[in-house]
Amino acid sequence: MKEISVYDFFESKKKDMALSLITEPETLNKKINSPHVNRPGLALAGYLEVFASERIQVFGETEIRFLQSLSEEDLLSRMRDVFKTDIPCVIVSKGLTLPPVVEYLANDLNIALLSSRLATINLMEQLTRYLHDIFALEKTIHATLLDVFGSGILLTGKSGIGKSECALDLVNRGHSLVGDDLITLRYVDDVLIGRSGKNFGHFMEIRGVGFVNVERMFGIERVRPQKTIDLQIELMPWQENMDHERIGLTNSYAEHLGCRIPIIYLPVSPGKNVSVIVEVAAMNLILKNVGYDAAEDFNRKLNEEIRQKTIRKSVRPLANDPKKDNN
Amino acid sequence: MIQKKITIKNKLGLHARPSALLVKAATKYRSDFNIRRDDTVVNGKSIMGVMILAAECGAELELIADGVDEAFLIDEISQLIEEGFDE
Repeated sequence: MKEISVYDFFESKKKDMALSLITEPETLNKKINSPHVNRPGLALAGYLEVFASERIQVFGETEIRFLQSLSEEDLLSRMRDVFKTDIPCVIVSKGLTLPPVVEYLANDLNIALLSSRLATINLMEQLTRYLHDIFALEKTIHATLLDVFGSGILLTGKSGIGKSECALDLVNRGHSLVGDDLITLRYVDDVLIGRSGKNFGHFMEIRGVGFVNVERMFGIERVRPQKTIDLQIELMPWQENMDHERIGLTNSYAEHLGCRIPIIYLPVSPGKNVSVIVEVAAMNLILKNVGYDAAEDFNRKLNEEIRQKTIRKSVRPLANDPKKDNN
Repeated sequence: MIQKKITIKNKLGLHARPSALLVKAATKYRSDFNIRRDDTVVNGKSIMGVMILAAECGAELELIADGVDEAFLIDEISQLIEEGFDE
Protein backbone atom coordinates (compact mmCIF):
# COMPACT_ATOMS: atom_id res chain seq x y z
CA MET A 1 0.00 0.00 0.00
CA LYS A 2 1.23 3.43 -0.94
CA GLU A 3 1.77 6.07 1.72
CA ILE A 4 2.81 9.67 1.98
CA SER A 5 4.11 11.55 5.01
CA VAL A 6 2.08 14.36 6.54
CA TYR A 7 5.17 16.53 6.04
CA ASP A 8 5.19 15.94 2.26
CA PHE A 9 1.48 16.56 2.06
CA PHE A 10 1.80 19.81 4.03
CA GLU A 11 4.78 21.05 2.02
CA SER A 12 3.19 20.35 -1.38
CA LYS A 13 -0.29 21.64 -0.57
CA LYS A 14 0.16 24.44 1.96
CA LYS A 15 -0.34 27.06 -0.73
CA ASP A 16 -3.29 25.46 -2.59
CA MET A 17 -5.18 24.59 0.57
CA ALA A 18 -4.11 27.70 2.53
CA LEU A 19 -2.64 25.51 5.28
CA SER A 20 -0.68 26.52 8.35
CA LEU A 21 0.78 24.36 11.08
CA ILE A 22 -0.54 24.88 14.60
CA THR A 23 1.51 22.27 16.43
CA GLU A 24 5.30 21.77 16.53
CA PRO A 25 7.02 20.72 13.26
CA GLU A 26 7.99 17.37 14.86
CA THR A 27 4.36 16.28 14.74
CA LEU A 28 4.50 16.09 10.93
CA ASN A 29 6.29 12.75 10.80
CA LYS A 30 3.21 10.50 10.63
CA LYS A 31 2.19 8.72 7.43
CA ILE A 32 -1.07 9.01 5.50
CA ASN A 33 -2.09 5.70 3.93
CA SER A 34 -5.76 6.18 3.11
CA PRO A 35 -7.17 7.97 0.05
CA HIS A 36 -10.21 9.09 2.04
CA VAL A 37 -11.09 11.95 4.38
CA ASN A 38 -13.13 11.69 7.57
CA ARG A 39 -15.32 14.05 9.62
CA PRO A 40 -14.97 12.67 13.15
CA GLY A 41 -18.32 13.89 14.55
CA LEU A 42 -19.37 10.74 16.42
CA ALA A 43 -15.84 9.92 17.52
CA LEU A 44 -15.72 13.25 19.37
CA ALA A 45 -19.00 12.35 21.05
CA GLY A 46 -17.26 9.29 22.45
CA TYR A 47 -18.28 6.60 19.95
CA LEU A 48 -15.00 5.04 18.81
CA GLU A 49 -16.06 1.49 17.90
CA VAL A 50 -16.47 2.45 14.27
CA PHE A 51 -13.96 5.19 13.53
CA ALA A 52 -11.94 5.54 10.33
CA SER A 53 -8.88 6.59 12.26
CA GLU A 54 -6.42 5.94 9.43
CA ARG A 55 -7.87 8.87 7.47
CA ILE A 56 -7.09 12.56 7.61
CA GLN A 57 -9.59 14.08 10.06
CA VAL A 58 -11.31 17.29 9.10
CA PHE A 59 -12.76 19.47 11.85
CA GLY A 60 -15.39 21.81 10.48
CA GLU A 61 -17.65 24.23 12.28
CA THR A 62 -19.80 21.34 13.67
CA GLU A 63 -16.84 19.70 15.39
CA ILE A 64 -15.42 22.96 16.73
CA ARG A 65 -18.76 24.16 18.11
CA PHE A 66 -19.33 20.78 19.72
CA LEU A 67 -15.90 20.79 21.36
CA GLN A 68 -16.49 24.32 22.62
CA SER A 69 -19.70 23.16 24.26
CA LEU A 70 -17.91 20.50 26.33
CA SER A 71 -16.60 20.99 29.85
CA GLU A 72 -12.79 21.11 30.07
CA GLU A 73 -12.74 17.67 31.67
CA ASP A 74 -14.88 16.05 28.95
CA LEU A 75 -13.00 17.88 26.23
CA LEU A 76 -9.65 16.53 27.46
CA SER A 77 -10.80 12.94 27.83
CA ARG A 78 -12.59 12.84 24.44
CA MET A 79 -9.70 14.43 22.60
CA ARG A 80 -7.20 12.16 24.33
CA ASP A 81 -9.23 9.09 23.20
CA VAL A 82 -9.31 10.35 19.62
CA PHE A 83 -5.63 11.38 19.55
CA LYS A 84 -4.57 8.00 20.95
CA THR A 85 -5.87 6.22 17.83
CA ASP A 86 -3.58 6.19 14.80
CA ILE A 87 -4.97 9.29 13.06
CA PRO A 88 -2.35 10.84 10.74
CA CYS A 89 -3.34 14.48 11.27
CA VAL A 90 -6.20 16.88 11.92
CA ILE A 91 -7.14 19.78 9.64
CA VAL A 92 -9.33 22.54 10.96
CA SER A 93 -11.22 24.34 8.22
CA LYS A 94 -12.35 27.98 7.79
CA GLY A 95 -9.40 29.11 9.92
CA LEU A 96 -11.39 28.24 13.06
CA THR A 97 -9.55 27.99 16.36
CA LEU A 98 -9.45 24.98 18.63
CA PRO A 99 -9.55 25.36 22.42
CA PRO A 100 -5.89 25.87 23.54
CA VAL A 101 -5.86 22.67 25.60
CA VAL A 102 -6.37 20.63 22.42
CA GLU A 103 -3.21 22.19 20.97
CA TYR A 104 -1.17 21.22 24.06
CA LEU A 105 -2.61 17.74 23.98
CA ALA A 106 -1.80 17.32 20.27
CA ASN A 107 1.82 18.38 20.83
CA ASP A 108 1.98 16.01 23.76
CA LEU A 109 0.62 13.03 21.79
CA ASN A 110 2.47 13.91 18.58
CA ILE A 111 -0.58 14.66 16.41
CA ALA A 112 -0.22 17.34 13.72
CA LEU A 113 -2.88 20.04 13.84
CA LEU A 114 -3.23 22.00 10.63
CA SER A 115 -5.44 24.95 9.95
CA SER A 116 -6.89 25.78 6.56
CA ARG A 117 -8.57 28.99 5.53
CA LEU A 118 -10.74 27.13 3.01
CA ALA A 119 -14.42 26.43 3.67
CA THR A 120 -15.01 22.86 4.86
CA ILE A 121 -16.65 21.70 1.63
CA ASN A 122 -13.87 23.12 -0.56
CA LEU A 123 -11.23 21.66 1.68
CA MET A 124 -12.85 18.20 1.58
CA GLU A 125 -13.10 18.41 -2.21
CA GLN A 126 -9.48 19.44 -2.67
CA LEU A 127 -8.28 16.83 -0.20
CA THR A 128 -10.24 14.06 -1.93
CA ARG A 129 -8.90 15.04 -5.33
CA TYR A 130 -5.34 15.28 -4.04
CA LEU A 131 -5.49 11.97 -2.19
CA HIS A 132 -7.12 10.12 -5.10
CA ASP A 133 -4.36 11.36 -7.33
CA ILE A 134 -1.65 10.30 -4.86
CA PHE A 135 -3.20 6.89 -4.21
CA ALA A 136 -4.31 6.15 -7.81
CA LEU A 137 -3.47 2.70 -9.16
CA GLU A 138 -0.41 2.90 -11.35
CA LYS A 139 1.64 0.71 -13.64
CA THR A 140 4.34 1.27 -16.21
CA ILE A 141 4.23 -0.54 -19.55
CA HIS A 142 6.27 -0.78 -22.73
CA ALA A 143 4.25 1.36 -25.15
CA THR A 144 4.02 4.66 -27.00
CA LEU A 145 1.27 7.19 -26.33
CA LEU A 146 0.03 9.83 -28.75
CA ASP A 147 -2.75 12.33 -29.12
CA VAL A 148 -4.28 11.74 -32.57
CA PHE A 149 -7.14 14.13 -33.46
CA GLY A 150 -7.74 14.53 -29.73
CA SER A 151 -7.95 10.80 -29.02
CA GLY A 152 -5.39 9.14 -26.78
CA ILE A 153 -3.88 6.28 -28.78
CA LEU A 154 -1.70 3.74 -26.98
CA LEU A 155 0.59 1.86 -29.36
CA THR A 156 1.81 -1.49 -28.10
CA GLY A 157 3.67 -4.40 -29.64
CA LYS A 158 6.98 -6.18 -29.53
CA SER A 159 10.24 -4.29 -29.49
CA GLY A 160 11.32 -3.42 -33.03
CA ILE A 161 7.84 -3.67 -34.57
CA GLY A 162 7.89 0.06 -35.36
CA LYS A 163 6.04 1.86 -32.61
CA SER A 164 8.55 4.72 -32.46
CA GLU A 165 8.72 5.06 -36.25
CA CYS A 166 4.93 5.16 -36.43
CA ALA A 167 4.85 7.75 -33.63
CA LEU A 168 7.43 9.88 -35.42
CA ASP A 169 5.39 9.79 -38.61
CA LEU A 170 2.26 10.82 -36.69
CA VAL A 171 4.10 13.69 -35.00
CA ASN A 172 5.39 14.74 -38.41
CA ARG A 173 1.77 14.79 -39.62
CA GLY A 174 0.85 17.24 -36.85
CA HIS A 175 -0.25 14.98 -33.99
CA SER A 176 1.38 15.12 -30.58
CA LEU A 177 3.51 12.78 -28.54
CA VAL A 178 2.94 12.00 -24.88
CA GLY A 179 5.69 9.46 -24.41
CA ASP A 180 7.69 6.79 -26.16
CA ASP A 181 8.88 3.40 -24.93
CA LEU A 182 7.79 3.70 -21.29
CA ILE A 183 4.30 4.84 -20.35
CA THR A 184 2.98 5.12 -16.83
CA LEU A 185 -0.73 4.39 -16.65
CA ARG A 186 -2.91 5.72 -13.85
CA TYR A 187 -6.50 4.87 -13.15
CA VAL A 188 -8.15 8.03 -11.82
CA ASP A 189 -11.86 8.96 -11.75
CA ASP A 190 -12.89 6.07 -14.03
CA VAL A 191 -10.47 6.99 -16.79
CA LEU A 192 -7.07 5.66 -17.72
CA ILE A 193 -4.47 8.38 -17.98
CA GLY A 194 -1.03 7.86 -19.44
CA ARG A 195 2.11 9.93 -19.17
CA SER A 196 5.73 9.35 -20.03
CA GLY A 197 7.46 6.95 -17.66
CA LYS A 198 10.69 8.91 -18.09
CA ASN A 199 11.20 12.36 -16.66
CA PHE A 200 13.89 13.59 -19.04
CA GLY A 201 11.56 15.16 -21.60
CA HIS A 202 10.22 13.93 -24.91
CA PHE A 203 13.10 11.85 -26.24
CA MET A 204 12.70 9.03 -28.73
CA GLU A 205 15.05 6.40 -29.94
CA ILE A 206 14.88 5.95 -33.69
CA ARG A 207 16.83 2.96 -34.93
CA GLY A 208 19.58 4.03 -37.29
CA VAL A 209 19.45 7.67 -36.16
CA GLY A 210 19.76 7.47 -32.40
CA PHE A 211 18.12 9.74 -29.88
CA VAL A 212 15.79 12.47 -31.05
CA ASN A 213 14.31 15.27 -28.95
CA VAL A 214 10.77 15.61 -30.29
CA GLU A 215 10.05 18.85 -28.44
CA ARG A 216 13.14 20.58 -29.84
CA MET A 217 12.71 19.18 -33.31
CA PHE A 218 8.97 19.65 -33.86
CA GLY A 219 8.09 22.28 -31.29
CA ILE A 220 6.27 22.49 -27.99
CA GLU A 221 2.84 22.08 -29.62
CA ARG A 222 3.70 18.54 -30.71
CA VAL A 223 4.19 17.21 -27.19
CA ARG A 224 1.81 16.69 -24.30
CA PRO A 225 2.48 15.91 -20.63
CA GLN A 226 -0.39 13.40 -20.30
CA LYS A 227 -3.46 12.10 -22.08
CA THR A 228 -6.58 10.04 -21.35
CA ILE A 229 -6.33 6.76 -23.23
CA ASP A 230 -9.21 6.04 -25.63
CA LEU A 231 -7.85 3.25 -27.81
CA GLN A 232 -5.05 0.72 -27.78
CA ILE A 233 -3.49 -0.39 -31.06
CA GLU A 234 -1.39 -3.52 -30.86
CA LEU A 235 1.04 -3.76 -33.76
CA MET A 236 1.80 -7.35 -34.69
CA PRO A 237 3.91 -8.97 -37.39
CA TRP A 238 1.98 -9.82 -40.54
CA GLN A 239 1.36 -13.55 -40.87
CA GLU A 240 -0.44 -15.57 -43.52
CA ASN A 241 -3.82 -16.88 -42.39
CA MET A 242 -3.96 -14.63 -39.37
CA ASP A 243 -7.44 -14.02 -38.07
CA HIS A 244 -7.81 -10.25 -38.59
CA GLU A 245 -10.89 -8.22 -37.92
CA ARG A 246 -12.37 -7.65 -41.37
CA ILE A 247 -15.62 -5.83 -40.75
CA GLY A 248 -15.42 -4.28 -37.30
CA LEU A 249 -18.69 -5.65 -35.93
CA THR A 250 -17.00 -7.28 -32.97
CA ASN A 251 -15.16 -5.16 -30.40
CA SER A 252 -12.18 -6.37 -28.40
CA TYR A 253 -10.99 -4.84 -25.17
CA ALA A 254 -7.74 -4.76 -23.27
CA GLU A 255 -7.71 -4.35 -19.51
CA HIS A 256 -5.33 -2.07 -17.63
CA LEU A 257 -5.66 -1.54 -13.88
CA GLY A 258 -9.23 -2.83 -14.09
CA CYS A 259 -10.19 -0.34 -16.82
CA ARG A 260 -11.43 -1.65 -20.19
CA ILE A 261 -9.97 0.01 -23.29
CA PRO A 262 -11.00 -0.85 -26.87
CA ILE A 263 -8.15 -2.60 -28.66
CA ILE A 264 -7.33 -3.08 -32.34
CA TYR A 265 -4.84 -5.71 -33.50
CA LEU A 266 -3.02 -4.26 -36.48
CA PRO A 267 -0.95 -6.51 -38.73
CA VAL A 268 2.21 -4.76 -39.85
CA SER A 269 4.38 -5.61 -42.83
CA PRO A 270 7.46 -3.79 -44.12
CA GLY A 271 6.62 -0.67 -46.08
CA LYS A 272 3.05 -0.55 -44.87
CA ASN A 273 1.96 2.94 -43.82
CA VAL A 274 0.82 2.26 -40.28
CA SER A 275 0.37 5.90 -39.25
CA VAL A 276 -2.43 6.45 -41.78
CA ILE A 277 -4.21 3.42 -40.34
CA VAL A 278 -3.75 4.79 -36.83
CA GLU A 279 -5.29 8.10 -37.97
CA VAL A 280 -8.19 6.22 -39.55
CA ALA A 281 -8.71 4.17 -36.39
CA ALA A 282 -8.74 7.37 -34.32
CA MET A 283 -11.28 9.02 -36.62
CA ASN A 284 -13.43 5.88 -36.68
CA LEU A 285 -13.41 5.90 -32.88
CA ILE A 286 -14.57 9.53 -32.87
CA LEU A 287 -17.39 8.62 -35.30
CA LYS A 288 -18.39 5.72 -33.05
CA ASN A 289 -18.40 8.00 -30.02
CA VAL A 290 -20.78 10.42 -31.75
CA GLY A 291 -23.03 7.50 -32.68
CA TYR A 292 -21.99 6.41 -36.18
CA ASP A 293 -20.63 2.89 -36.63
CA ALA A 294 -19.64 2.21 -40.25
CA ALA A 295 -19.65 -1.58 -39.81
CA GLU A 296 -23.16 -1.52 -38.35
CA ASP A 297 -24.39 0.88 -41.01
CA PHE A 298 -23.08 -1.30 -43.83
CA ASN A 299 -24.48 -4.43 -42.21
CA ARG A 300 -27.88 -2.79 -41.80
CA LYS A 301 -27.96 -1.83 -45.48
CA LEU A 302 -26.86 -5.31 -46.50
CA ASN A 303 -29.49 -7.00 -44.35
CA GLU A 304 -32.16 -4.72 -45.77
CA GLU A 305 -31.16 -5.59 -49.33
CA ILE A 306 -31.14 -9.32 -48.55
CA ARG A 307 -34.58 -8.94 -46.98
CA GLN A 308 -35.97 -7.09 -50.00
CA LYS A 309 -34.63 -9.75 -52.35
CA THR A 310 -36.14 -12.50 -50.24
CA ILE A 311 -39.54 -10.79 -50.27
CA ARG A 312 -39.40 -10.24 -54.05
CA LYS A 313 -38.53 -13.88 -54.55
CA SER A 314 -41.46 -15.06 -52.44
CA VAL A 315 -44.02 -12.95 -54.39
CA ARG A 316 -42.62 -13.76 -57.84
CA PRO A 317 -44.41 -17.12 -58.31
CA LEU A 318 -47.77 -15.34 -57.90
CA ALA A 319 -47.16 -12.94 -60.81
CA ASN A 320 -48.22 -14.01 -64.31
CA ASP A 321 -45.19 -12.58 -66.03
CA PRO A 322 -41.94 -12.67 -64.05
CA LYS A 323 -40.49 -9.86 -66.19
CA LYS A 324 -43.06 -7.44 -64.80
CA ASP A 325 -41.23 -7.52 -61.49
CA ASN A 326 -38.49 -5.41 -62.96
CA ASN A 327 -40.79 -2.50 -63.70
CA MET B 1 -9.89 -24.14 -62.86
CA ILE B 2 -12.99 -25.44 -61.12
CA GLN B 3 -16.45 -23.94 -61.38
CA LYS B 4 -19.31 -25.00 -59.18
CA LYS B 5 -22.92 -23.79 -58.92
CA ILE B 6 -24.34 -23.58 -55.45
CA THR B 7 -27.47 -22.25 -53.71
CA ILE B 8 -27.46 -20.27 -50.46
CA LYS B 9 -29.22 -22.30 -47.75
CA ASN B 10 -29.29 -20.24 -44.58
CA LYS B 11 -32.38 -18.12 -43.99
CA LEU B 12 -30.65 -14.76 -43.53
CA GLY B 13 -28.43 -15.11 -46.58
CA LEU B 14 -24.81 -13.96 -46.84
CA HIS B 15 -24.94 -11.22 -44.22
CA ALA B 16 -21.90 -10.03 -42.26
CA ARG B 17 -21.12 -13.11 -40.19
CA PRO B 18 -21.33 -15.75 -42.95
CA SER B 19 -19.43 -13.48 -45.32
CA ALA B 20 -16.64 -13.15 -42.79
CA LEU B 21 -16.56 -16.94 -42.29
CA LEU B 22 -16.47 -17.54 -46.04
CA VAL B 23 -13.65 -15.06 -46.63
CA LYS B 24 -11.69 -16.37 -43.67
CA ALA B 25 -11.93 -19.92 -45.05
CA ALA B 26 -11.02 -18.82 -48.59
CA THR B 27 -7.92 -16.80 -47.62
CA LYS B 28 -6.32 -19.96 -46.22
CA TYR B 29 -5.82 -21.20 -49.77
CA ARG B 30 -3.38 -20.02 -52.40
CA SER B 31 -5.74 -20.37 -55.36
CA ASP B 32 -7.53 -17.39 -56.85
CA PHE B 33 -11.14 -17.43 -55.84
CA ASN B 34 -14.04 -15.58 -57.42
CA ILE B 35 -17.78 -15.75 -56.88
CA ARG B 36 -20.21 -14.99 -59.68
CA ARG B 37 -23.83 -14.01 -59.32
CA ASP B 38 -25.57 -13.28 -62.60
CA ASP B 39 -23.31 -10.68 -64.24
CA THR B 40 -21.42 -9.72 -61.12
CA VAL B 41 -18.09 -11.35 -60.36
CA VAL B 42 -16.39 -10.55 -57.06
CA ASN B 43 -13.17 -11.64 -55.40
CA GLY B 44 -14.09 -14.33 -52.85
CA LYS B 45 -11.23 -13.28 -50.60
CA SER B 46 -12.52 -9.72 -50.26
CA ILE B 47 -15.10 -9.21 -47.54
CA MET B 48 -16.50 -6.11 -49.19
CA GLY B 49 -16.91 -8.00 -52.48
CA VAL B 50 -18.71 -10.94 -50.89
CA MET B 51 -21.03 -8.71 -48.90
CA ILE B 52 -21.89 -6.60 -51.94
CA LEU B 53 -23.43 -9.68 -53.59
CA ALA B 54 -26.15 -9.45 -50.93
CA ALA B 55 -26.94 -13.11 -51.63
CA GLU B 56 -30.26 -13.99 -50.02
CA CYS B 57 -31.52 -17.45 -49.14
CA GLY B 58 -32.06 -19.33 -52.41
CA ALA B 59 -29.64 -17.15 -54.40
CA GLU B 60 -27.64 -19.10 -56.97
CA LEU B 61 -23.90 -18.46 -56.98
CA GLU B 62 -21.05 -19.85 -58.98
CA LEU B 63 -17.79 -20.54 -57.16
CA ILE B 64 -14.74 -20.21 -59.40
CA ALA B 65 -11.36 -21.34 -58.08
CA ASP B 66 -8.09 -21.44 -59.95
CA GLY B 67 -4.79 -22.66 -58.51
CA VAL B 68 -2.88 -25.50 -56.93
CA ASP B 69 -5.36 -26.15 -54.12
CA GLU B 70 -8.55 -25.22 -56.00
CA ALA B 71 -10.34 -28.51 -55.24
CA PHE B 72 -9.82 -28.17 -51.48
CA LEU B 73 -10.97 -24.57 -51.55
CA ILE B 74 -14.18 -25.41 -53.41
CA ASP B 75 -14.83 -28.34 -51.02
CA GLU B 76 -14.52 -26.25 -47.90
CA ILE B 77 -16.56 -23.31 -49.22
CA SER B 78 -19.28 -25.62 -50.56
CA GLN B 79 -19.51 -27.37 -47.24
CA LEU B 80 -19.85 -24.04 -45.39
CA ILE B 81 -22.68 -22.95 -47.70
CA GLU B 82 -24.40 -26.34 -47.68
CA GLU B 83 -24.38 -26.39 -43.89
CA GLY B 84 -25.90 -22.93 -43.87
CA PHE B 85 -22.92 -21.49 -41.89
CA ASP B 86 -24.27 -23.27 -38.80
CA GLU B 87 -27.15 -20.83 -38.54
